[in-house]
Amino acid sequence: MKSLTRVSQLNSKPMARKHSTAAVLLLASLAFSVSAQDSGQTNTGESALFRGEQLLMTGSYAAATDIFQMADGLDRNEGLVGASKAFAMMGNYIDAMSVVENAIEDDEYASFPLLSTQLAEVKRAVGESKEALEILESVVAGLAEPPVRTLVQYGSLLDFVGQRQIAFSILDRAMQRYNNGLVFASEDVAMVALASWLMGNFHDANSLFNEATRANPNNLEAHSLWGDLFLEKYNASDAERSYQEAIDINGRYVPALVGMANVVGDERALQRALAINPNSIPAMETYGQLLMVNGREEEAHDYFERVLALNPESLKTLSVLASQAALEERSADYEGYLAQVESFSPNNPIFLGNVADSFGNNYLFDEAVVFARAAIAADPQYWQGYTLLGSNLIRLGEEEEGKTNLEIGYENDPFNVLTSNMLKVFDTLETYRTLESEHFKVHMSENDADVLWPYLEPLLEESWVTLTAKYGFEPEGPILIEVFEKSEDFAVRSVGLPDIGPLVGICFGKVITLISPDTLSANWQEIVWHEFMHVITLQMTGNRMPRWLSEGISVYEEREGRPYWGRSQGLDLVRASEQDKLLHVADLNSGFSGAQNSADLGFAYFQAYLVVDFIADEYGFEKLVELVDQYAFIKEEEERFDEVFDQNLGQFDAAFRGWIDRRVAEINVYVHTEDLPDEGDGHGHGVRENSSAILAELYNNVSLKQHMRARIEENDRDFQAYLQLGIVLFKEESFFEAKQYLNQAYELLPSYTGYPSPPLVLSQIYEQEGNREAQLQQLELLLQNLQHDYASAIILAEAALEESNFERAEYYIDRAIQVDPYRADVHQLKASYAETIGDSQLAVTEYEVLLKLEINDPAEAQTNLAQAYLNNGQALQAKENILRALETAPSYQRAQRILLQSIDGDSD
Amino acid sequence: MNLLLKTFAVGLGVLLANAASAQSDGNGSENEFFLDRPDSTKYAVILAGPTVGDENKSQFRQWAFSLHDILARDYGYSSDTISLLYDRGEVEGAGSQRIDAACDLVGIQQEFARLQSVVQPGDQITIYLIGHGSGAEEESKFNIVGPDITGGQFAGMLDVFDQQDMIIVNTTSASYGFSASLSNEGRVVVSSTRSSSEKFDPIFSNYFIEALDNRNGDRDKNNRVSILEAFNYAKSNVEEFYEEQGRLASEHAGLDDNGDALFSLNPTVAEIDGRLAEIAYIDNLVDDTAGLSAEAIQLKSRMQDLERSVFILRGRKVEFLEQDYWQQMEELLVDLARATGQFNEVVNQGESIEQ
Repeated sequence: MKSLTRVSQLNSKPMARKHSTAAVLLLASLAFSVSAQDSGQTNTGESALFRGEQLLMTGSYAAATDIFQMADGLDRNEGLVGASKAFAMMGNYIDAMSVVENAIEDDEYASFPLLSTQLAEVKRAVGESKEALEILESVVAGLAEPPVRTLVQYGSLLDFVGQRQIAFSILDRAMQRYNNGLVFASEDVAMVALASWLMGNFHDANSLFNEATRANPNNLEAHSLWGDLFLEKYNASDAERSYQEAIDINGRYVPALVGMANVVGDERALQRALAINPNSIPAMETYGQLLMVNGREEEAHDYFERVLALNPESLKTLSVLASQAALEERSADYEGYLAQVESFSPNNPIFLGNVADSFGNNYLFDEAVVFARAAIAADPQYWQGYTLLGSNLIRLGEEEEGKTNLEIGYENDPFNVLTSNMLKVFDTLETYRTLESEHFKVHMSENDADVLWPYLEPLLEESWVTLTAKYGFEPEGPILIEVFEKSEDFAVRSVGLPDIGPLVGICFGKVITLISPDTLSANWQEIVWHEFMHVITLQMTGNRMPRWLSEGISVYEEREGRPYWGRSQGLDLVRASEQDKLLHVADLNSGFSGAQNSADLGFAYFQAYLVVDFIADEYGFEKLVELVDQYAFIKEEEERFDEVFDQNLGQFDAAFRGWIDRRVAEINVYVHTEDLPDEGDGHGHGVRENSSAILAELYNNVSLKQHMRARIEENDRDFQAYLQLGIVLFKEESFFEAKQYLNQAYELLPSYTGYPSPPLVLSQIYEQEGNREAQLQQLELLLQNLQHDYASAIILAEAALEESNFERAEYYIDRAIQVDPYRADVHQLKASYAETIGDSQLAVTEYEVLLKLEINDPAEAQTNLAQAYLNNGQALQAKENILRALETAPSYQRAQRILLQSIDGDSD
Repeated sequence: MNLLLKTFAVGLGVLLANAASAQSDGNGSENEFFLDRPDSTKYAVILAGPTVGDENKSQFRQWAFSLHDILARDYGYSSDTISLLYDRGEVEGAGSQRIDAACDLVGIQQEFARLQSVVQPGDQITIYLIGHGSGAEEESKFNIVGPDITGGQFAGMLDVFDQQDMIIVNTTSASYGFSASLSNEGRVVVSSTRSSSEKFDPIFSNYFIEALDNRNGDRDKNNRVSILEAFNYAKSNVEEFYEEQGRLASEHAGLDDNGDALFSLNPTVAEIDGRLAEIAYIDNLVDDTAGLSAEAIQLKSRMQDLERSVFILRGRKVEFLEQDYWQQMEELLVDLARATGQFNEVVNQGESIEQ
């Protein structure tokens, strides 16, 4: 598939030039000699225009305004345009307009095309599109060959106000000018690039921006516009590079700073942009959107109000406000914003597309689809609309129609990375199998279908039965689950782009996307259970659940699903309480959106869970369900809490903090400030590493021991000190003393499950001492709280089988499969278990899986399976399999005997 | 050793050797390779080059010594038929008794000269190269003590063995160019890498030796390991290793046995490469038909015929409809199973009578 990427230096011209480079050089040199003779000069001897341009280029905008206005003679008009640009760069739009407007005599715009065009551009920037249009129209009508910039700005504005056909004819004139070899200057080439972009010729636009930046590497506008093009196509890396190139030249170039913030979500870049230009409309719009995402709505609205005060025609801001009104079902407000847009840009597809995108980002896919369809109806050539429609249909499980729309988008805009990525995933899905249970439809790879499905299917149906009964709600099904082997496919299917961070599963309400457990080292069953819980809460509320509550309930239900699932983060809780880092209940969403690292994110999940646990514990489970039900309706957060708990948010938060204090007191451990929180990937699904303890394992030194002993002396409830001291002593093989400290650590915090934990290290000590019974006891303790450990579960299962303790063996075999169903040893164990207890059907299942996992001895695996079929009374299947084994190994006598048994009961 | 399995192996080896001979010679000449006769002798030469670093040194030593011991223990090789040329010819600690000479040019020349003096036409020589390789194409080298040896030089040394079946298993880094130089008609060449750019130390050797150990690589359950089986075992496990590590594989093994110096990554009997490798067995064949009754010999002959029919049918699988293929296969396999059962009864009765 194509992608819009930087063209190489050797890339051919997008369009044929008819004039030679020599002509370009001649004209350029003539222009220079004229300007040098007639222009005003600065006290450095340079022309004012030249000096002004240098200052503008390097971000000295205030100085540039003065110097530019010193330009006279033939440079005067250009100097005024420069001054206007410099004023605009500082957000002084009034002076930016007046400095050029005052020089235009008798509103004879055509006589002053450069000044007029600049005036029109500023007027457009402040929402005076009608006046801007009149000015540009006057210039274009009054000149046989208006400047390229005038044509492109006029075309762009016509397009903005919905006069697309005329816009295209004007933009085409600029294109023709280029084709006729009459566009030379980098700035004009960049304008032709913009024209190509507006006309949907993205490839040409890319090549032209390349040409413009090569012609003048200091053309900041070209770099930044090029970045904007990449950004529109979701090509973040190239966008970032373009913006960075502009910033490297001028670190105060606000359009690039804003672009960069759009790529990387950098709040500081926006603060810097607003420090340079406090009236930068794009900066405020972007900042407002970022604040909205982080739940800081009031601050966001301040910015939006300022934007509209500066530019009442800001499409982006009006889209955001309209989206919010629509999301909150404030129909009159929405209609008001729509009418406002219609007044200057009738039938604008981008406005509708933005609203669709907002609905999609808020998980309201049905509504997103409605708006995306409306956007396409407004302009069938709005290709992004097809991408929006397709991606949202997919999240509703409407795969065929979704794909069809993505294909339309791709055919017409093959450079949109989002579209091409999503279509690529369909190629992957074509190789996948679809399996169905009563309530679920699952797409998965051949490997997962063979190995995972036998364990996934019963788990899914169990989660359905358990959780639908508990919440008294049956979601609309079947629930579509897509299990991706490649994390890139999972990410693209989920968000359209290949990098999604440490997520392992996402629920869209009717659709769940998952990373195949084959690529994880975490308890995949817990993840599935967690995601299905999202299905229930999302569907109960029409996908209007706040993230914190949805995640909190899903984590809460992990523990309800199996006693050893869920999160045990006692140390983190004590630390957060000591450092006063618990978020107010009203701000819990910001814990997710504002997380700086995986530890922050992990704690956001944990605190959300704690609030849910608090509700169930203090008010009863039914109150939790009542709270969920509240989100089906649009109302203020205060109102919801008041209705359910008869408290306002402040009172509720205070009660929560009291409950936390009691919990912290119960945990009763000391957390030293020098210890770092445990960290793990997968949003809390998976082992969390205790970096301090890992270091203790590596560094076996005297000073560390002394330090830890001193810490214990200082506070005898310092869990980490006991643990680290125990580990160092273990490495020194001072087992007796090590056991004392590790046991004390365990008694202080039995639920601790970071790696390494006291029971894990103790089990290793006992193993080295040859005390198997004690080793197994420690592993049992370990697994009481840790759900992600495969090896310990296998050791315990083997021990149980040796003792013919079948119930225990089954339990630990299941525990191992919950972590890694792709390893042959656990299935071999389960097959042996099945044969021992005479469960021939179970043996068949296990040998079927083993056959898929076997790479070295397929004939043996096939023979084992045939034997299992035979034992299970499935002679036909036995025969089919044993024939395949014997095809490979015809002289294998065990297989020969099974063949004879399968056909006539003959035996040896 | 299981008498019955050994007996089967004799028949199967001869059968496939004939098939391979017919396939490999398109010009009607009667060159026959890897006939695997009980009266032939199999020789193994292990060349383990020098290395730096304790980890590599320990790894190469473990591979070389393990291979030596496995061949001696499970595959019928003796100190007369197995040679180990190791680094500078000595090693600290235990294990030096296995070493015959240093892995330098003189050592290699002397070893091949010695071998030339003892081998007979039809004997089999397997050369295992363990260590580092470097360079590309004709400049590809196997690192030995002293000046390294190029593939061309090494191929020249092997020319004298034109009456013997030759297997070369080159497990070094950047082994491809060197291995390609050794390609020849009737020769099986295994390379642990598919290009000279694969220059990191491969782990292929580890799994190739694992395939031989306990006959882990024996896919067709005839209690013998062919080069094709060992290759496929090692290849699968190397792939699995990199997948489990979540790394892009930095090695891709190939096999050439038709002399075109082009290495197949997935050799099978149905492909250009793989036919000779399937009948190139590492172990010595033992004719243990002695002492069988006439009836047992007749049954064994019937079993061999049936087995041959199975192989022929399997080789023609694509020519059949699925159902017809399996119907015919079932008939053959049922007959073979019954014949095997009868054979066992006859042999067991004979043993009972003797007791």
